[in-house]
Amino acid sequence: MSEVVVECTGLTRTYDQDSVPVYALRGVDVSIMQGDFVSLSGPSGSGKSTLLNIIGGLDRPDSGEVVVSGTRLGTLSESALAELRLHKIGFVFQAFNLIPVLSAQENVEFILQLQGVASAPRRARSTAVLDSLGLSQMSHRRPGELSGGQQQRVAIARAIVTNPALLLADEPTANIDSATTEELLLLLQKLNREQGMTIVTATHDPMVMGYTTRKIKLHDGMIEEDETAVVV
Amino acid sequence: MNIKLLYQLSVRNIFRYKRRNIMLFAAIAVAVAGVSSMNTLIRGFQADMLDSALSNLTGHIKVHAPGYRDDPSIERGFLLEDGFQPNIPADKLLGWAPRIRVPAVIMSERETRGVQLVGVKPEAELISFLADVPIDGEGLSGTQDGRILIGAELARQLETKVGRRLVMITQGADGLNRERGFRIAGIYDAQGTGLEKVYVFTGLARLQQMLNSEAVTEVSVRLKAEPQKTSVKQLLSRTFVNLEVMDWQELEPQAAAMYLFADGAIYIWFILMMSALTFGLVNTLVATVMERVRELGMLRALGMRNRMVISQVVLESTIIMSVGVVVGLLGGYLIYLSMSDGIDLSSFSAGVEMAGMSTHLQPVFLVDDFVLVASMSLVLGFLASIYPAWRAVKIKPLDAMRR
Repeated sequence: MSEVVVECTGLTRTYDQDSVPVYALRGVDVSIMQGDFVSLSGPSGSGKSTLLNIIGGLDRPDSGEVVVSGTRLGTLSESALAELRLHKIGFVFQAFNLIPVLSAQENVEFILQLQGVASAPRRARSTAVLDSLGLSQMSHRRPGELSGGQQQRVAIARAIVTNPALLLADEPTANIDSATTEELLLLLQKLNREQGMTIVTATHDPMVMGYTTRKIKLHDGMIEEDETAVVV
Repeated sequence: MNIKLLYQLSVRNIFRYKRRNIMLFAAIAVAVAGVSSMNTLIRGFQADMLDSALSNLTGHIKVHAPGYRDDPSIERGFLLEDGFQPNIPADKLLGWAPRIRVPAVIMSERETRGVQLVGVKPEAELISFLADVPIDGEGLSGTQDGRILIGAELARQLETKVGRRLVMITQGADGLNRERGFRIAGIYDAQGTGLEKVYVFTGLARLQQMLNSEAVTEVSVRLKAEPQKTSVKQLLSRTFVNLEVMDWQELEPQAAAMYLFADGAIYIWFILMMSALTFGLVNTLVATVMERVRELGMLRALGMRNRMVISQVVLESTIIMSVGVVVGLLGGYLIYLSMSDGIDLSSFSAGVEMAGMSTHLQPVFLVDDFVLVASMSLVLGFLASIYPAWRAVKIKPLDAMRR
């Protein structure tokens, strides 16, 4: 039986917008298992990014509890949350968010450097990941010298190089063309199928949802549908 | 903390904003060069003032009989034993001179002036300005020389010249006036300073004979270095038990105040220049950090700790400051070298004389001052970067990334 990677119970989150409360999440309960490839979808303001950010420890719920890999996030300090993100969670952001002054390889190595991995194994691991994503030719290029798709692949390389328990991707295909989107989705699917990586992605894109094995649809801060596809 | 990573990010970010950082380097370098070169002038002014104060027959320490300073007459003199030597270690003592200094009236065929008549041992006056000034005519040959040396300005006022005789009147040890004719051996040129109008020198033994006294009115001591003053003063106080032993700061309080002011001026000048620079520095760093707030938020979202983000911003500004300071100090040193022949202030002779300076300002380079400017600049750069760094981490990573 698969292990639970994320357990959310009764999550609520309200934002103040011009002193008017906006309910982003209203009592969300969800469990994500080891090896799930989950899409969080829904219209703008449905709460998918808020849920993703709370799972990633970037935001805190007003009430409810989140447990990631056995760690209760509500009790953690900002510093401990940063430590958890560093060691257990990989992030892929919509706007690529690579460090502009570092090359592709240095960007991938960045997280390993933060983790204190020594130079030789760091270089070996980043090279292997870049090779597996077909980026070995571009390893010394800086983000400004890469296309959008290449930048997003580097971002994925950076997110997976530490073998995180959970990969969170917020609209990862929003800024790239459809051919590159498909290429990326195949890559994520491969990571999920071959390495058993748990992936949660917030998306609007039906093409993305087509690749995920579990589709959670949110509406007005609540889960409207939670459908698991049968993988053949 | 991964220092190599921090250094790599900092250096590359510095090159990322080349134009802005070049302007910042230049501003720091100009400010530091300005401060450090100005310091050499202030130190030159200070050294000149000290030298003038010490050479003005004062020395580092002087011994008088009590009451002499209020009533400077031979009656307030004291006796020195034959072969007296002050018990000062040779490694501290530059020289010492016994003197008689009494007020007198000097008369030529045409004019009369009030002066200080000073009886000296010429060979001991290596410690006073007398050793350095050019003399038209001859210097005094010894303590028995009955001729006089007068200043160029006094000679001009008395309308006299070398070889002429002048009459001097002063009060003897018995309280009665003594009058004697003196031939002018030489006229000294003290660069137009007030000394020329005041001091008239003659042999010590001859003046004692004229005043009918074996006493001296002062012993002046010049040391090899200013900091030795305190211990030597204590030593002399034990030797001259019933006499007043005073250092130059007590004897020349105005010069002492100016000397201290010069020390303070270095700090005041530094604070003024660097405060202006700091505002610019903080402003630029805040702009740089706020421009990168999204990127810094992303780094924190990925797991970089706040203290590492702060360290990166601080390191960046410290590197900028360090390079600016090194270039600035180099510039300051080059400015110092370009002024190493000194600056001619003769156009302002009246003003500089009032300040107790000579008309030639010789800059003085002190390594300690350069180290002080460098270290204070770096501390300032460090402190100036704390606020922008703190602002960067105050914003939540998620909010930062939404900007």
